[in-house]
Amino acid sequence: MEFSGLILILVFFLLLILNVPISFCIGISTAVAMLFSIDFIPATTTISQRMVGGLDSFALLAIPLFVLSGLLMGRGGVARKLIDCAMALIGMLPGGLALVNVMSCTLFGSISGSAVATTSAIGSFIIPEMEKKGYDRNFATAVTACASTTGMIIPPSNILIIYAIASGGVSVSALFVAGYLPGLLLASLLMIVCAGYAIKKGFPTEARLPLSFVVKKVVAAVPSLMLIFIIIGGILGGIFTATEAGAIAVFYSLILAVLVYKEVKVGELKEILLKAGEISAIVLLLIAASSAMSWMLSYENIPEIISKTLMTISENPLIILLIINLILIIVGAFMDMTPAVLIFTPIFLPVAESLGMSPLHFGIMMVLNLSIGLCSPPVGAVLFVGCSVGNTTIDKIIKPMVPLYIAMFIALMLVTYIPAISEFLPKAFGLY
Amino acid sequence: DNKSSKTVLRVGHTLDTKHSVHKALEFMSERLAHYSHGEMSLKLYPNGTLGSERELVELLQIGSLAMTKVSAATLESFVDDMRLFGLPYVFSSREHRWNILESDIGEDILHSLQPAKLYGLGYFDAGSRSFYSCDKMIRSPEDVKGLKIRVMNSQNAVKMIDAFGGAATPISWGELYAALQQGVVDGAENNPPSFYSARHYEVCKNFSLNEHTSIPDVMVISQHIFSHLSDQEQHWLKLAMTDAVQKQKTLWLEAENYALAEMKKSGLNVHYPDKKPFMDAVAHLHDAYKDSIVGQYLMRIKAKQ
Amino acid sequence: MKNLNSWFTKAISYLVVILMVSIVATVLWQVFSRYVLLSPSSGSGEISRFLLIWLGLLGSTYCYQQNSHLSLDILARKLSAQKQAYLARFVHLMVFLFSLTVLVVGGVNLVTTTLDPVQLSAVLGVKMAYVYSVMPLTGIIFCTTALEKLFFIKNEQFISPKAVGE
Ligand code: NA
Ligand code: NA
Repeated sequence: MEFSGLILILVFFLLLILNVPISFCIGISTAVAMLFSIDFIPATTTISQRMVGGLDSFALLAIPLFVLSGLLMGRGGVARKLIDCAMALIGMLPGGLALVNVMSCTLFGSISGSAVATTSAIGSFIIPEMEKKGYDRNFATAVTACASTTGMIIPPSNILIIYAIASGGVSVSALFVAGYLPGLLLASLLMIVCAGYAIKKGFPTEARLPLSFVVKKVVAAVPSLMLIFIIIGGILGGIFTATEAGAIAVFYSLILAVLVYKEVKVGELKEILLKAGEISAIVLLLIAASSAMSWMLSYENIPEIISKTLMTISENPLIILLIINLILIIVGAFMDMTPAVLIFTPIFLPVAESLGMSPLHFGIMMVLNLSIGLCSPPVGAVLFVGCSVGNTTIDKIIKPMVPLYIAMFIALMLVTYIPAISEFLPKAFGLY
Repeated sequence: DNKSSKTVLRVGHTLDTKHSVHKALEFMSERLAHYSHGEMSLKLYPNGTLGSERELVELLQIGSLAMTKVSAATLESFVDDMRLFGLPYVFSSREHRWNILESDIGEDILHSLQPAKLYGLGYFDAGSRSFYSCDKMIRSPEDVKGLKIRVMNSQNAVKMIDAFGGAATPISWGELYAALQQGVVDGAENNPPSFYSARHYEVCKNFSLNEHTSIPDVMVISQHIFSHLSDQEQHWLKLAMTDAVQKQKTLWLEAENYALAEMKKSGLNVHYPDKKPFMDAVAHLHDAYKDSIVGQYLMRIKAKQ
Repeated sequence: MKNLNSWFTKAISYLVVILMVSIVATVLWQVFSRYVLLSPSSGSGEISRFLLIWLGLLGSTYCYQQNSHLSLDILARKLSAQKQAYLARFVHLMVFLFSLTVLVVGGVNLVTTTLDPVQLSAVLGVKMAYVYSVMPLTGIIFCTTALEKLFFIKNEQFISPKAVGE
């Protein structure tokens, strides 16, 4: 049991360092490990089935849709108008456009519920725009990836609903309300880091502009901003789900790009669609392969072995919580968020509860923690989408990521050791 | 297998560890170890970590998983006979349902799984499904008209909601809470324990116990793995299953009573409607199956009354 | 082999475009049917999910042809040109072996499992084998592309920035 887990980890890293595409590293290491406990035909068939199963999700459809609408808006000049507007508003601050990036990711994440969709929707037009304004592309990608995880904690959040079910009865409403403060805390810390990093690296700030110019830029952005209102209004008003909002966004940005701004010709659409399909497929193959790998990990009880070892290490609650966090960070490095929540909630929640932690508090901590994993190598959906959308590679964005990881870790520590950050609002609203 | 004489059967399911089925399976593992003097046991994988219900059934067919608990609704996609349970008002009461499930009719339906390379071990109780709605109480089929009702991914479920005059909207169970809160759908239908454990009462305040369908859970084992067990091992497994079924029936009833009591305590509107108008509205759905295997089961059930 | 692959690339690029258009159209239809026709489409969710599976898997063969799959090239960039070529061939051999065993053999078995007895999808009642057949198909395309990269590409071509993950 432990043996095949060890094989899986070894093969994975060996292939990874040998430049094998990450989806294939995941698939091959899973297959090799699986052959130790399952016969050849059932093993390969099971991996095939898990790969298809990993993609069989309506929520995942948001990925190609937001990638496509992002590309259309990028081509259609909508992105530029939007960024000009934000620039006119807060561009004069140090690292202005990086702050705009964080804020728009938070805003978008707070209506979409999917960090991956946020990265592709915001990233596909803000990263090129930041580069155009003189920012380092790798830094821009790193900021987008980290900032888009705020949407996992700020409601609506599918992962909090999954946690509520995995924990066996924590109130979803309470979890939703609990997510606001930690989400805003994370966004603020990221903004502070961005401003500091931009000052240090000498990234440009924009000159303060006359009010009439600001108004002009804001007005020019109104048709583009309408898209945000369509999405916010549509989702919050109960008109459609996040995936459907993606399709509406495609429809709206298509009309804007082709009919209103006339910056995209009908003949160019095929190329845009192909590009969107390609960006999406890179991510989708990774999700498919990761889904086979997490199946294998569960099948071999690797999560359970980890938790048993944990309880023998220390009796100090503060230390155990720190260890749980470190383990989850490692888990998040390799595993997608949904299987990680489903596998580790039943294992760690009883441990946390025995230390006097509320299931509500634990859920927020876990999702915040795994958010770091979403944008940490080697396996992280947001990281992959970010690199794909930002047209860069993982090893190049690690360096600008480091200060952002530190900000995320500080947010995690504050949320872990100060229960009030998670529990104040739900208690104030009588939900908990 | 040669190194150790112990047989461990891996069981995957999609329910949480507090669910009556999971507890019954833990009990089943104990009973299996007891009957086999420690030779056999179950290894449980709850929470859907190994896949959705449909995917788990496939894993049984593929042979990488031994057993699973699956709703009869999911088995509709594999075997026609299972469509019986998705029909509304097949049984008149819980007692009637269990009488049929434990009769030759129930046995025959379990046997129908064999062409799908599955062996049906027995049924678990999943109660009866009823409507719940966010805005106004569903007192009669008239109240369903025009409402967007979430249904399971099942043709029977879609047809039934259509027959009531509602608009059937398939949404996955995990996404339903948000869909109800956002108003993407106006209501849904399920049994009280699921309604309670998914906390849908936080957004839907009206529960109407019209009990339109009673779809049991089915315990299945991969035929490939079952046929490789010795006669003695198969016998132990069946004995343990019989014990688990009795245990789960009690646990289910407790869970149902607890959920209803908690729902009433928290100020939820629980309504017991006259079921007759509901039955009349969907009676024609049974006729559509007249000349099929499901029609034969319906006649046999009628003949037993 | 080379002609076959360029034909595949062209066919798949058209398929990816068609799949993207179909996904947008299906999800839009879902919204339209609910608000304009007032009768929610019960099958659109299932169709769009199946289209996504096809897009993800078939599309990934296009990404392989374009060398756009993500990989860690820290080691590769430090090697000499000759060794980079060896490493690239090793990578394509790995892709070939995985595709042949898991995607083709496992995929074919998955398809046959759902054919006897036939398994139907929950809402539309289409054969699940149609959905799953994307798996062996993807495997075959990965295999032929990998073979082409293994045997029909000169060493220098592996050293382009694109091949090492730029
Ligand atoms: Na969110
Ligand atoms: Na990660």
